[in-house]
Amino acid sequence: MAGFTKLVNVSQSIKVCCAALGNLSIQSTTRNFGSLLRFQQHVQPQLCASASAITGRNFSTNQTKCDLMQFFDDPKNWPENEVKVGRAWKLDELRIKSNKELHQLWYVLLKERNMLLTMEHECNEKMELFPSPERLDKVKISMENLETVVRERNKAYHLLETGETGERPQRLVANNLGIRYMYKSVEHVLPPFMNVRWIKTRSIGYGGRAVRKFLLKYREKLYNEKRKAKNRSRNEVMMLLRRNPNMDVDFLRRKFPNVNIDKLMESDKIRGHYVPNV
Amino acid sequence: MSTRWYPLYQRGNPQLRVFLPNFWMKLIRPSEPQPKNIVTFSVSMEMTKHDVKNYLEKIYKVPVMDVRTRIALGATKRDVTYGYVTKHDDMKIAYVTLPKEMEFTFPEMFTKKDDAKKADEKAMEDTKQGFKQFLERNKKRPGTPGWYSI
Repeated sequence: MAGFTKLVNVSQSIKVCCAALGNLSIQSTTRNFGSLLRFQQHVQPQLCASASAITGRNFSTNQTKCDLMQFFDDPKNWPENEVKVGRAWKLDELRIKSNKELHQLWYVLLKERNMLLTMEHECNEKMELFPSPERLDKVKISMENLETVVRERNKAYHLLETGETGERPQRLVANNLGIRYMYKSVEHVLPPFMNVRWIKTRSIGYGGRAVRKFLLKYREKLYNEKRKAKNRSRNEVMMLLRRNPNMDVDFLRRKFPNVNIDKLMESDKIRGHYVPNV
Repeated sequence: MSTRWYPLYQRGNPQLRVFLPNFWMKLIRPSEPQPKNIVTFSVSMEMTKHDVKNYLEKIYKVPVMDVRTRIALGATKRDVTYGYVTKHDDMKIAYVTLPKEMEFTFPEMFTKKDDAKKADEKAMEDTKQGFKQFLERNKKRPGTPGWYSI
């Protein structure tokens, strides 16, 4: 994810970004994005008024009260059993947004998630039903989509500029048992040949009778899983064809690409018990 | 300020640049009575005191004087029948001190809901009473539909 930073470097210099981070007034930008999900945090004036007055600083109690009230849903929704909201942001909608807009939307979503988590927690504490819990899922989906879009842009930029994706590098390595897995590279202070402690603790050979025995059984387990899945789908096709003799075979081929349907058709297994064996 | 993976070093300063933080914070009701300017949060386990302070100041524009954190152990429970132990997740709890002029009280959210519940219960009672009356009236002619007589 290091690339997120680099992406923003494209559109704006770091300085501008940092300034934007500092000055980002989320309330003012909220309205632009509130059209789909209900993101606006309407702060009730009477709540602000109830806070005690404060003197002699450049912030006010009212402001704080309102700001911390952002962690709560609109008081109108407190007694409700259902809160009507729109759908999550789709990938295509996010793709046409600028980097700045995506950045602002991220904070809107983040605040919305915090608010929903707070409300959920309080509802659980008070043994109440949390109204419309699907809101959390919608925010989650939106955030995932937003990250996907940022990642896409990041990749595109890196490919254009450097010929590499700019993703965190991965490579296939073997662990102590000789099972290979994708290792996500990590930056180290020392290069490998200087890191004596690491070299000493590393066990390179993974032989031995016990390991071989284990690997044999492990592979057998993996193979059995694969075999059973294959048999299951074959039997499913068989039963489908037995019950529906005129089924669309092309559709079946598309849905079960691993099943040899021609071989099944030749065999007697797809004949229903009601069809005479000629 | 995020659980994402960052390079050890990158050109330029500041070294840590977070553009899309993914930490969450919940404002929770304090378990013990607290001074008026102390707010209790449940935060992502990875967050530090500095993270909590920055998060509130930069994203929520709330001035923060001090942050103290602790990790609350999740409750364990032994299964009655089989005796195995289950455990809830641990929670990181942050006590945030606001400037002393400020105060925050956790709002009571379900007072109105209680009224609504009472209204619902009353409606239910009325319906039950109505049905009882209907049964009483139809005692001597069972199975007669409701529209048969007034």
